[in-house]
Amino acid sequence: MSDPRDNVQQEFLAEAQELVEALSRDLLLLDEAHQRAELPDSSLINEIFRSVHTLKGIAGMFGYKHVGTIAHALEDLLDDLRLGRTNIGDPLLDVLFDSVERFQRLLALEDPEAPEEAPGVDAYVAAVRSVGTQPEVEDGDPLHHYAIGQAVLSVLTEYEEHRLRACIREGMQLYRLRATFDLTAIDDSIEALRDVVNDDAEIITYLPSLEGGNDESIELVVLLASRVPEPELKAHFEGRYGTVEAIEEQKHLPTTPPNLTSIPPGSQSLLPQPEDEMGQASLRSVANSVRVDIRKLDDLMNVVGELALVRTAVDRAVAELDGDPKHRHSLRELDRLGRGFERQLSELRTRILDVRMVPLGQIFSKFARIVRQAAREHDKQVRLVVTGANTEMDKLIVEELADPMMHLVRNAVDHGIESVETRMRLAKPAEGTLALNAYHKGRNVVIEVEDDGGGMNPQKLRDRAVSRGLLTAEASQDLTRQDMLNLVFLPGLSTNTEVTDLSGRGVGMDVVKTNILRMGGVVSIASEQGIGTKITVTLPITLAIIRALIVTVGARLFALPISAVREAIPFAPQDVRTIQGRKVITIRGETLPICDLARLFGLRGAKQQESRFVIVCEMGNRELGFVVDELVAQEDVITKSLGPTLSSVRGFAGAADLGDQKLALVLDAPALFSEYFEGAEARPSAEARA
Amino acid sequence: MTAGAQRATLVPDQASEDTTIPVLAVLAGSETYGFPLSAVREILMPPPLTEVPRSAKHFLGVIAVRGEIITLVDLPTLLNLEVLDPQPLGRVILVDVGEELIGVAVHRVVQVSQLQPDQIEYASTMSADLSECVLGVARIPSESSGNAEEMVILVDPGALLGGLT
Repeated sequence: MSDPRDNVQQEFLAEAQELVEALSRDLLLLDEAHQRAELPDSSLINEIFRSVHTLKGIAGMFGYKHVGTIAHALEDLLDDLRLGRTNIGDPLLDVLFDSVERFQRLLALEDPEAPEEAPGVDAYVAAVRSVGTQPEVEDGDPLHHYAIGQAVLSVLTEYEEHRLRACIREGMQLYRLRATFDLTAIDDSIEALRDVVNDDAEIITYLPSLEGGNDESIELVVLLASRVPEPELKAHFEGRYGTVEAIEEQKHLPTTPPNLTSIPPGSQSLLPQPEDEMGQASLRSVANSVRVDIRKLDDLMNVVGELALVRTAVDRAVAELDGDPKHRHSLRELDRLGRGFERQLSELRTRILDVRMVPLGQIFSKFARIVRQAAREHDKQVRLVVTGANTEMDKLIVEELADPMMHLVRNAVDHGIESVETRMRLAKPAEGTLALNAYHKGRNVVIEVEDDGGGMNPQKLRDRAVSRGLLTAEASQDLTRQDMLNLVFLPGLSTNTEVTDLSGRGVGMDVVKTNILRMGGVVSIASEQGIGTKITVTLPITLAIIRALIVTVGARLFALPISAVREAIPFAPQDVRTIQGRKVITIRGETLPICDLARLFGLRGAKQQESRFVIVCEMGNRELGFVVDELVAQEDVITKSLGPTLSSVRGFAGAADLGDQKLALVLDAPALFSEYFEGAEARPSAEARA
Repeated sequence: MTAGAQRATLVPDQASEDTTIPVLAVLAGSETYGFPLSAVREILMPPPLTEVPRSAKHFLGVIAVRGEIITLVDLPTLLNLEVLDPQPLGRVILVDVGEELIGVAVHRVVQVSQLQPDQIEYASTMSADLSECVLGVARIPSESSGNAEEMVILVDPGALLGGLT
């Protein structure tokens, strides 16, 4: 388990995974630019090259032969792309996108050298090679029209030369910037210069001038291409860096420029080699972050819990001294220290929780790839609009969320958004829109998956449910429109092969719902035929800590996640009515079913009906009131699972330590809701049969 | 166990190579049970107990031990034994059953006995109809009177407490 080899392997896999994710993100940007018919950003292609290059390097170290082979082939292709030897296009993008899946699958293999994978890898490599052979035809070399000088041209790398040509073609003006750099900090200074230049211009290359400078400094001549007019560029750089001089376009053959001397062979090392630059960049990017196993954070959290116990024990010891006049001064001091300790402890807890938070963008980028792929498979046009990718959630939730969300996204493209022809016929824009919105709402995070597709037909859903025997015909008569839409979450409503004629989803929606319920979340659905469907997932920000309402029932403590609670009102027994054997009360003109927890749990010692409370809870679009004895407090609690032995007991999400080893069972509101309402649904149909 | 200490740990004796089996004898209900010391992780003063409604009768509830939630089991109920003279909960022993730690509620810890194999009467050799969780019985000298012997029911923690629901 603690085999160091294993750990190293885990590290590798984690890093490789990150690289593949970065690759996937960058490819999407590249695709986006391409779809807008923009020229690919050279720094983006470099970024992609870098990911693949690093991946090749580490795959080699850890014996992931296939990964290395593919990365190597891609590297060549990307190099061609960088150098303008090949052009970007859909087939090339398809091949690049394909690599993401391949990498992920190969990384998941038990045996990184599995021979049975070899044919697939070879075929892919062949595909990579075949898309990368469309040499670009140059008509006349624009370089000769500029007084750059043969000395400089001869030391440009192929890539630099390509960029230079590309910049000239784009109509950029060339400049020569002379600046003096401190030798000890030259790398940082050039990096800083790159940052400054980035928006205004592009650095093609830089060479030592061999003129200015002394033992501590060196003068460099920087070859710049820029769209910014000369006076502006001068205003920006002169004084801060050095002199700026335009390189004029000439109609004659180039003459040797007066200021650029030839480079002696010894100074070659100052020229940046792409390989070196990349190595440095990837090292830098990982330098100030560490990967931590989330279990280690759980351990830390347990230590915090222990510290809280120690604190209570100290308090108890101090309490024994209380009232002794001899110790009055020390007691006051102890009290002060105790409070300081408490503050630090809660700070520590907050910080640890903070470390667990990651932006949802981590999974959204995966969805972008799925959307692209699904849209291409079905020959649909889909635009993905993401908002709130920075919304942070607990790492564990984000991980758990990936699969159900993936399902929702795929469903939206496969079955929601119509084909281009259908959309045209309906006078909708040919390109469908799929929106992923994430935002905070109180202590929850809400994620919406919304499409402007065909929507769902509630009657069809109902008929399907009846024909499958999931619902009696009688019971189906009473369903509201919303109830019918909710049928989509019933297991067995539809299967893979039968969805298309259902004008909607249903594929594994029950699984989606179950997974989200398990995380303490809720999923709800809204759909209008012809207009679109919106699925809303509401989740707690973190599983580890929840804000809870602590209540008592029969002198026992229970915690109700505040995210589910709408309000707490005094219980008035005289207002209770019975409808079909279910107790309900009326608040503000609306009927609210109530559930007495003391009764449900068979707890004795509950208070008499007076002076009790009803906690009104809301889940999705349903409401239920839980009757409890007393409201105790609102607290942030850490929920721990009950362990395998008690996991089959229904209605509890875990237990929360309230300090001093006192526990409150955390009510599983989603489970209690479905227990209550599924029972309620079964009843009328049973009566109808009788 | 040190008087007054909140927790004490009994480390199983792994260094010795003799054939004796160290057993922790505890009193629960009306009987004395023996747990192999190697399976016992810890002996605790009982922390506050929280009942879990709707759970099986042999579960007394849950307790918090260093951030973990531990299920507490009542031995006599689990073994369907009638308790004539219920005794208060005095100690909790944490028993390792593989996938989790289970707390066993006991009245008190009797002693740690080094049992010789010949002191043990194995269940397989006995005619009495015993649960498969019982490995056998052993007689150990009683603490109270000099020559009297006490019967200890030796249990198999994995079979007794593993996979309970």
